This record gives sequence, C-alpha cells and structure tokens, in this order.
Amino acid sequence: MAPLLEVKNLNYSYGNILVVKDVNLYINEGEIVTLIGANGAGKTTTLRTISGLTDASGVKGEIIFNGKNIQKMPGNKITSLGLCQVLEGRHIFSKLTVRENLLVGAYTRKDMDNVKKELEEIYTLFPRLRERMEQLGGTLSGGEQQMLAIGRALLGKPKLLLLDEPSLGLAPLVIREIFEAIVRIRNTGMTIMFVEQNSKIALETADRGYVVQNGQIVMEDTCKNLASNEEVKKAYLGED
Amino acid sequence: MLIQVVISGLVIGCVYGLIALGYSLIYKASGLMSFAQGDMLTLGAFLGYSFYGIFKLPFVISLVCVVLCMFFLGLFLEKAIIRTLLKNHVLPVYIVLATIAISYIIQNAAMLIWGTQTLSFPQIFPIPLVGVLGVKVQPEALFCILMSLVCMVALHIFMKYTRFGTAMRAAAMDATAARACGINVSFSTGVTWGLSAGVAATGGILLGPIYGVYTMLGAIIGRKGFSSAVIGGFGNMYGAIVGGILLGLVETCTSAYISSAYKDIISYSVLLLFLFVKPTGLFNEQALTD
Repeated sequence: MAPLLEVKNLNYSYGNILVVKDVNLYINEGEIVTLIGANGAGKTTTLRTISGLTDASGVKGEIIFNGKNIQKMPGNKITSLGLCQVLEGRHIFSKLTVRENLLVGAYTRKDMDNVKKELEEIYTLFPRLRERMEQLGGTLSGGEQQMLAIGRALLGKPKLLLLDEPSLGLAPLVIREIFEAIVRIRNTGMTIMFVEQNSKIALETADRGYVVQNGQIVMEDTCKNLASNEEVKKAYLGED
Repeated sequence: MLIQVVISGLVIGCVYGLIALGYSLIYKASGLMSFAQGDMLTLGAFLGYSFYGIFKLPFVISLVCVVLCMFFLGLFLEKAIIRTLLKNHVLPVYIVLATIAISYIIQNAAMLIWGTQTLSFPQIFPIPLVGVLGVKVQPEALFCILMSLVCMVALHIFMKYTRFGTAMRAAAMDATAARACGINVSFSTGVTWGLSAGVAATGGILLGPIYGVYTMLGAIIGRKGFSSAVIGGFGNMYGAIVGGILLGLVETCTSAYISSAYKDIISYSVLLLFLFVKPTGLFNEQALTD
C-alpha cells in the first residue's frame, strides 16, 4: 500500500538561503512519526512547507498526500483534504472564545451534526476546555492553549495530524499531559507526524523517527534503534 | 432646541460610525487604512441618486443595488491594487498612499460623471417633516439613524454568529492559523474591503437626502470617521460606532451652543486629546508598541 504521505526531494529556499535540502520522508497510515533535531534545523519549515503555509515560490520537489500531489496547492485547500497542522507556538485566536476557536477548526466541513459530536469528544479528551468554553482563547494558560490548538486541528477531521513542537514553553508535567493526549489520539487510529526538540519524549512516543540537521535528514530508523544509537544519545539525549 | 441638536448629532454621528466601522474592519483584516473610505460614501450617494432619482427604482431596491455595486468595487480594489502591492512586498505606508490616489481618482471620476453641482436627492418619504417630541424633523433624518443602527446590528450578527463572519475575525487575528484551519484568507480579506465599502456607501445614500450629493461630500466625513474610529479604539467595531456617535454629538453641540466656526477645532482637539491621554480609545484597543 502506498504511504499516506510521501515527500520526495523537497527543497525550500527563503530568498537565496536553502533552508530545506532534499528531504525525503514517508508516513504510512496509522503510524506515528517524529522529526527531531536542534533549533533552526529546518523542522518547522519542512512541516509548514508540507502544509502549504510557506511561500510557494520557494518550494521544489514532490509532496504526495493520499495519492494527490499537493505541492502547488494553497494551504487552506490542503487542510480541507485532511492534512491538519497544530502550529508551533499554538497560534490560538486570542479574541475568539474557546468554542469559537474549535469551530473555526471545522470551517471546511459541511457535516455539522458530526462536528457537534466530535466537539463533545474533544471536551472529553480535554475536560479543561469544556470548563473554559466561553472564555477567550488568549486568557488560557500555555498548556490549555496547546490543548485548544490540538482540539482545533482535530475538528478539521484530519487523515494526517501534524504537530509542531507540542512541548514548546510548557512545564514538564504539562508536557506529559499533552503527550498522553497525543498517545490517546493515536490509539483512535489517527496517523500523526510531530516535530519535537524534546528528543527524549519524542523517541518514547513515536514509532519511527527522522533526525534533521541543517535542513537535511541525516538519519532515519525506528525510535527504539534511534534511542540506542550512540550519536543520537550524545547529540540529542544528553547522555555520554 | 436640545432635541433637534441631539437628532442632527445622531444623524451625522451614525454616519461617522459607519465610516469608522469600515476603517476598523480594514485595519483589523489587513493592518492598513484606506483613505478612500470617505469617497466610498460619496460614490454611494451618487449611485443612490442615479438609481433612485434618475432610474426611478424603488428606494429599497436602489439601496440594495448601491450596496452590491460598492461591495464588489471594494472587493475589486483589494484584489487588483492592494493585494498586488502586498505581493510585490511594498511597504504598508505606500499602500496607504495608494488609497489616497484611489480617493482622488474616485472624486475626479465622480465629478466627470455627475458634474460639480450639488445634486438634490429626491425625498424618500411623502411627508416633508414629522414631529418628534415637539420638534419637526425630516423623516429621512430618523431613517438615517434607524438604518445605520440596523446596519451595525446586522454586521455585528454577521461577524459574531455566522461561520464566515467568525472565520473573517479569525483571519484578521492570525492569518497563518486561519489558513491552517482551511480559511481562504485572501478571499476573506477581500470581503472585508467589500463590506467596508458597502457600509460606507450605505452612509452615503442615507445622508444624500439630508445633505445633498456633491463630490466632496465624503472627503470631510471620511476624516471625521477616522477620528471616530480612533476615539472608539482603532480596530474595534463597537468602539467605532460609539466613537462616531460621540463625535457627532460633540460637533453639533458645539455648533449649536458655541459657534459652528469652532466645530472642527473642537472635534479634532478631541481626537488629539484621545491620542495623548487614551490612545487605546474608549474600548481599550491595543494602540501601544510593547
């Protein structure tokens, strides 16, 4: 079976600077895959380019999602195909209520009855969002905003959920809570790819991983193998 | 006397509010301001005059035609000029200059089409005057207040309770996140410009019967509408309305009780006062750099 997402020789240049170099990756249905790497390695740009959120004139290569080449498609169309992204830094609509934020996530959908049901499921997944339903997004704590961002992306009914740095700026306990939720979402059969600087939790959560360095993929393997790799241990897990 | 002053203050204040609404919508959606807002009002008044006075269409149909025409003009201007400049990475201040150019082009074109004379907009209602609390006023004045308020409430309902309105607010807050949610941000920004033009034109067709229709009708009102938006809190829809009505009342009270010669001095002083003392406006809109 063909992978759900296949990226072939992806390049992205910002002006004259090549930020993403010849990236090849794939995700099979039902998998959870991570991209790890240092700050500025090009992980976020890779993810945003896949979602059509970078300047299209700088993109080269092929991005096949669900059998369709989406490389030239605008970001909003890509989302409506079921490739939804939780952006780095959460990007909550700060002056919309929690409920409105979630419903904007369902903007492309016509099946409002199902949306209502799924809204309930999201409130069950993150009970704190239910408590804060009518509060403005900007008044939530960082962890709650991350839950809201994830909930909003889920309401787009993704076939593939992309998460960019879900742990960014959060306290360790909150990070654990977020990743527990990610695992629960994954257990519903969702295909997930996430970018993470916190390599330890990333390798514990995902099935497979890619290591990104200077805009290139330098290593790919199962997370189990990556976690026991000496180089990875030294560079990303802080072990000697 | 007071009632008359309040009514004429509300008439012009509501129109300021409509113009200010346009400024606020555009600022929120694009981070820009359009100096052509006042001329959209002028154009609305002229088109209304043509549909209603010349083509003799019923008033309601004329109003709908004007709003539709102006909506598409606003949409077109955003797509053809503003977006093109943005794509070429032109600095925002130059785009604002472009809107000044649009403003003069509209003024001049209106002059060529409709002439330089002040046209008198035919009456909307069969009776010239109605009594309100003991004073006689033009029914068009009451209609102007009523319709402006209806327009504001309709816009509020649209922005707050419809999916597309909520999406427009979302797109104005965070374009990247909106795109990631599947919203066509360039379309929603265009619609914002269209709505702003439509709302301004509504002000024009409502004001025409009271003030007459001439090419400079919107020029001063446009500037006052900008002041109203600042007083209310630039970018805030509700602030725009309150700021407009406040400015209208201040102005007519000055004219009535002090002298109409001081009207503009006082209303622009109020603007400066707000900029110095409360730049966030009545509705505490973000106005300071961090």
